[in-house]
Amino acid sequence: MTPERWQQVSRIFKSAIELDGEARAAYVAGQCGADNSLRAEVEKLLDSHRQASSANFMKGVAAEYVASLLVDDKDAEPEQRTLIKGQQFGSYVILDSLGVGGMGEVYLARDSRLDRTVALKVLSPDISRDQRRMQRFRQEAKVASSLNQPNILTVYEFGEVDGLTFIATEFIDGETLREYLHKKKLKLAEILDITIQVLAALDAAHEARIVHRDIKPENVMIRRRDRVVKVLDFGLAKVTEKRASMLSVEESEAATEFKTAPGIIMGTINYMSPEQAQAGQIDERTDIWSTGVMIYEMVAGKMPFSGATSSHTIVQILEKDPPLLTRVAQVPAELERIVMKAMAKSPDERYQTAKDMLIDLRALRKRLDVEAEIGRTSSPTTPSAVVINETAQRPQKTRILVIALIGMAVVTAAIFGINIWRSRNNPTVNTATVPAAERTLTYWITVQKFKDNKPYQDPFTLAGEINFEANYQIRLNVRSPQAGHLYIFNEGPASAQPEFVVLFPSSTANRGSSSLAASQLVQIPEQSWFKFDTQQGVEKVWLVFSQDGEAALEMAKAFASSQTGGLITDPDLNNTVHNFLSSNSAAKPEVEKGDRLTTLKSTGKLLVWPIKLEHH
Amino acid sequence: MTRTPRQHEITQLLAEWREGNQSALDELYPLVYDELHRLARRYMSRERKGHTLQTTALINEAYVRLVDQKNVQWANRSHFFAISAQIMRRILIDHARRHAYAKRGGGAKQVSLEEAAAIVPNQSAELLRLDEALKSLAELDPRRSQVVELRYFGGLNNEEIAGVLHVSENTVTRDWNMARAWLYQQLTGSGAN
Repeated sequence: MTPERWQQVSRIFKSAIELDGEARAAYVAGQCGADNSLRAEVEKLLDSHRQASSANFMKGVAAEYVASLLVDDKDAEPEQRTLIKGQQFGSYVILDSLGVGGMGEVYLARDSRLDRTVALKVLSPDISRDQRRMQRFRQEAKVASSLNQPNILTVYEFGEVDGLTFIATEFIDGETLREYLHKKKLKLAEILDITIQVLAALDAAHEARIVHRDIKPENVMIRRRDRVVKVLDFGLAKVTEKRASMLSVEESEAATEFKTAPGIIMGTINYMSPEQAQAGQIDERTDIWSTGVMIYEMVAGKMPFSGATSSHTIVQILEKDPPLLTRVAQVPAELERIVMKAMAKSPDERYQTAKDMLIDLRALRKRLDVEAEIGRTSSPTTPSAVVINETAQRPQKTRILVIALIGMAVVTAAIFGINIWRSRNNPTVNTATVPAAERTLTYWITVQKFKDNKPYQDPFTLAGEINFEANYQIRLNVRSPQAGHLYIFNEGPASAQPEFVVLFPSSTANRGSSSLAASQLVQIPEQSWFKFDTQQGVEKVWLVFSQDGEAALEMAKAFASSQTGGLITDPDLNNTVHNFLSSNSAAKPEVEKGDRLTTLKSTGKLLVWPIKLEHH
Repeated sequence: MTRTPRQHEITQLLAEWREGNQSALDELYPLVYDELHRLARRYMSRERKGHTLQTTALINEAYVRLVDQKNVQWANRSHFFAISAQIMRRILIDHARRHAYAKRGGGAKQVSLEEAAAIVPNQSAELLRLDEALKSLAELDPRRSQVVELRYFGGLNNEEIAGVLHVSENTVTRDWNMARAWLYQQLTGSGAN
């Protein structure tokens, strides 16, 4: 919002707030005239005012709300710091103190046996003495460690050293989905990826007859490094025998958890299923409900059930259907169907298992991938209805290309699209024929002409490099029938020092992972186009496809951020990449140039190939 | 502790700042920060967790301790409260940030294994987000953001705020309503950017 717009909105708001009902509506309508967006802005703010009042938002004073923070300081309670930096604790070395929690102290530590970093929690002595709490702790450790699933926080060890009880768990450097949501609006593809991982965790838990019971964005953690999702807090989880002997919320500590705290936070009541809200019998299907609520919130940007008070919210949960997702956001009808099924009031009408919901979401994810691919290829200037992974545009710093060598084969976009679609539907054809000791990679180039900085004519697809005009922009497509690790670098025109730009993986391409599934399409850039560098010369786009990850190249990933535009700024690392590429490109792969794509084949576990691009 | 020279110094600095000397504020800031911080900590460790912290009482005490009462003027007092509100905000945000990676908030009632993983506590995260939103508001509308600061962080009532900002109480009420609605939008994600 601009300050001018703000002034406009605030002038109308100021008077409107003094009026009631129809008078208010009439006043707002009169003041805004034909400016619908202004009117929407004012109405939204008036609505927020009403909600903020009834939610007691910012009632009281900040210090009241966060006063406890003031006393938890290290020096406020110095007697609680049991371990110090560098100290040996059993087989752990304390690296840092992460803080003091209700249950004890948390440290960042290194397990010297396995040389891995862990979060080490040392329980305070009064808790260790409390039989009931210890029992609960053990139970929780048992529950969590029995769930050996990549999307569930791993418990490494539960033990005792020098009379101190401790738990060592995986250390997650990341943020919760709640914080993630506050930072940005998620793309549909991201929403699906996150939910699919949450459901995978729930599927494993439910298999083990464990109900989480408190699925919400605060309990979903996204690891910074690779965006892997971890479901947290099986603290409320209960082991259930079978659906027949279900749990009662009343006797659990869950009830105390669902309170609405004063101050600025919203309670956690909004994710409760109807049966939870009624303190009824609950089972796995309550987690399905909460997952549905979470998807809804991610898509719509607001929670489906959110009343002025917790009792209003409960009434909504029990009786109201939220506004249709397709009304509040641009999403496929299929997603709406999935979410509504997950949020059916009666557990019997919901997905009965996390697996069923998982299957539907995966199918949707796949379908959208294909559609987006067709959409992009046939008309990249008008994104298809569903935009998958519309990631940030490549930073301008990314230099690229062009001109080149060999004969070209132009295929119309439409034909190309259909072809892709077909091959997607028959992925097994290629997969079976490739021996393991060989690497196969195909690539093709999509070209878009530009005129007056606008896309001009339909894009076309090439098997390989051609003679490009200055006003062409391109996109590189890479795929392999095999799984493996892919790295793509751009090397600038020959200069004194080798300098590389990391094109793949990056935080926006494959979420920072080099790992590629069989038949997974990589498209760089995903949504925009590469511009040709104004600088003349031959540039190379290096393709490296390896059966295993390449340590030398993994290090380069750190540079694939928007700060450097992917440019590796460390001279040593540039040399490492340079040496790797030049020593491994000596064994040239077999090149087969088809009509629509170029296929590279190499013997052994590694394939390295430079696409040479010259521009004038 | 010899209080007199300090009192004199702070009173002097307040007067200079009121007269438009910005560097006086730079000197004043750390002095008031330390005092407020110390008092807040003392209050809270005495009261223990879960109790409320009376911000105005706290600032009042700091004021009495720091400012030479013989030369007291209302203008001095209102300026002191204005800067104290800003400093209380700073103190709480500093704490929230420090805690952000240290632990999860509150829940001592429940044994949670994941407290062991470094997770941002709710309270701290909420407060940090509020602070961010308030910064954005300050860019759009400095006065309304100041109203929020004085009221929410400084614990001043509308009458006091009106005195500090030289506006009517009605204006303060309206500013607060608008600012709070906007912040609510930002924090609940129901707002469009």
